[in-house]
Amino acid sequence: MIAHDKNLLDNLSLIEEANSLQSGGFISKEQNTIIKKSLAGFKRNNNILVRLGFFLLGSFLYVSVCGTFSLLGIDSGQTFWNICFYIFAIVGFVGSNILAKQNYYGHGLDDAFNLGALLNLGIAIGITTDGYEIVIAFFIAIASFLIYLRYIHLPSMLVFCLSAAAVLFFGMFELGATGKTVLPFVAMIFSAGFYFFTKKILNNFSENYYSKGVLLANSFCLVLFYLSCNYMVVRELSVMLLGNEILPIEDIPFAIFFYAFTVIVPILYLVQALKTKDRIMLWLSFLAIAFSIYTIRFYHSVLPVEVALTLGGLVLFTIAYFSIKKLKDKQSGLTFKPDRINNSNAFLNAETLIVASQFGLKPETPSESPMEFGGGDFSGGGSSGSF
Amino acid sequence: MNEQTTRSLLEKNLITEEQFTQIQTYRNLNIFSLHNELKLFLYLSVLLFTGGIGILIYQNIDTIGHVAILSLLLIVTGICFYFCSKNAPGFKKEEVLFPNPLYDYLVLTAVILSCTFVGYLQFQYKPFGSDYGLATLIPTIISFICAYYFDNKSVLTIAITGLAAYIGISVTPQDLVHNKFYDDESLSYSAIILAGLLILYTIYSSRIKLKIHFNIIYLTFALHIISIASINNLVQDYWFFFAIILAGSSFYFYKISYELSSISLYIFMIVYAYIGINIVLFKIFEHIDFSDLWTLFVLLLPAYFVGSIVLFIKLIKKFNKEIA
Repeated sequence: MIAHDKNLLDNLSLIEEANSLQSGGFISKEQNTIIKKSLAGFKRNNNILVRLGFFLLGSFLYVSVCGTFSLLGIDSGQTFWNICFYIFAIVGFVGSNILAKQNYYGHGLDDAFNLGALLNLGIAIGITTDGYEIVIAFFIAIASFLIYLRYIHLPSMLVFCLSAAAVLFFGMFELGATGKTVLPFVAMIFSAGFYFFTKKILNNFSENYYSKGVLLANSFCLVLFYLSCNYMVVRELSVMLLGNEILPIEDIPFAIFFYAFTVIVPILYLVQALKTKDRIMLWLSFLAIAFSIYTIRFYHSVLPVEVALTLGGLVLFTIAYFSIKKLKDKQSGLTFKPDRINNSNAFLNAETLIVASQFGLKPETPSESPMEFGGGDFSGGGSSGSF
Repeated sequence: MNEQTTRSLLEKNLITEEQFTQIQTYRNLNIFSLHNELKLFLYLSVLLFTGGIGILIYQNIDTIGHVAILSLLLIVTGICFYFCSKNAPGFKKEEVLFPNPLYDYLVLTAVILSCTFVGYLQFQYKPFGSDYGLATLIPTIISFICAYYFDNKSVLTIAITGLAAYIGISVTPQDLVHNKFYDDESLSYSAIILAGLLILYTIYSSRIKLKIHFNIIYLTFALHIISIASINNLVQDYWFFFAIILAGSSFYFYKISYELSSISLYIFMIVYAYIGINIVLFKIFEHIDFSDLWTLFVLLLPAYFVGSIVLFIKLIKKFNKEIA
């Protein structure tokens, strides 16, 4: 099933391990170079910028190849329009296969062809079925799952998760008003079920080519679980789908349950993450906490936004300050010391960029709105208030 | 799972037994580091706090007294600066770190607040008269001093944007991306001169060994400013002149990215050069009548992209090989 060379896949995990050992200072740079030379590897770009660049180039190439095909078929008019996107999708599948045979993996080019093929397939089925959502989502789910199995292509796994969730949603819509009403609970049960299912797979087969994909699905279930019964999501969706106008004095049914869910689940995630030392869950819990605060503020804002921001900043600072103080000198377990092996500082690199975009000084233009102070652009500060 | 991978490295004789035991001992500590997460919290708290203060001042500009706001700002800024300088390791020419990363964020807060302070002062009392340049220059100078004294890269970026603002251009990332700047031609010249000066400064600072790790930031700004200014002008009248500038800067950044082994400079240099080449090609093709040949043109496009991809792969491969 796997199109890639299994030896190279094995080597890939070894090379990645060697890289993290080198950044941890356990092996020297020279030794790492020797390791890399002795293990044949994929054509691959670890740098996200390079990968993105090749993704763009690959997309150009894909589009231009499709353009060539359109040129040949453009005279046949409507018939061609009906089938052209199927042809484009086939172009994508063929392209992915060629790239896989040439040992491109995680290079950017392969991403362009895999995702492009899925997109074209979706459009093609959309044209054939006149935009029947559940059918589109169903076929996309199958295709992306097959692509994932064949090329171990992680972004396709994400597409699969999204489209599988879409199949569930549209399936519930088919059931009419009842389906729409019980949708949050069904989504919650499904995501919880799949969470434990994927967790079990992860525990049983730890050493497997597919483990990253299963982990991704696992994390996706966590996100879906939280969102499924978040008060704001439920309320806004019920307005949108059922057309229920919610009057200021009224509330949605089971409001207390949804509020409790919105508050408890993020805390549960946080505690569980710290207990099991699960970094992905930790980050998801941060995001969930932020979104919960936003949800509650959205409906019950006690403080004006500027006071909330200032106080929020102070509270966050206090939390960080005391946590650092407490964890600073710990040598094992939960600690503030940077981990030598798994230390990703992608965020810290982005930090200066964010500062420059948020607080960069702008040229003075007198006689403009009072917003434009000499220093620090305030509207920039405001836009960071998504917290 | 990682342990198994390490073990197979050992089995293939790629790491020594001794290294393996070292790694095992380290793994057995079971470290779960919250380093990055807590730093993120500090950073977010700075963003929230300064953002909140900014809005607070803007909205209450007429209700609370100006003197009250100004003195409050001054006090908070003063407290931040006091704690920073108390804990600062002092000025050194090399890279120095605070004993606790907390203070990096305190410095950032202090600088943003003092920028707000000067801005507010100018808005309300106009101590610099209508000389808005001076009102920009003072926060810039404060930022530069703090960036160098406290060794803070984030503050340095504020300082550089301030410097650019002083000569009249906005180089915040979003303006660069939206191509907002350089509507008029004289601004392009000043932008290119600014970028040139930044480059010259990096050469000078590496000669006197003053905070060499800042060079990458100066060069990143210089690369983006000079390339975007030139590319914008490639569609104008004097395009040939700007094509030469772009070619020259690309060559310089090609060299310097190898020297600093900086892949991000390298990639952006390639991207800008590629865009530039395509525009110039288009300029040349404009003079040829393509009306009958456009089908051939469409058929040739895939070949052109394949060619570009091969070229890029070669360039990246060469770079990775040289810096490895």
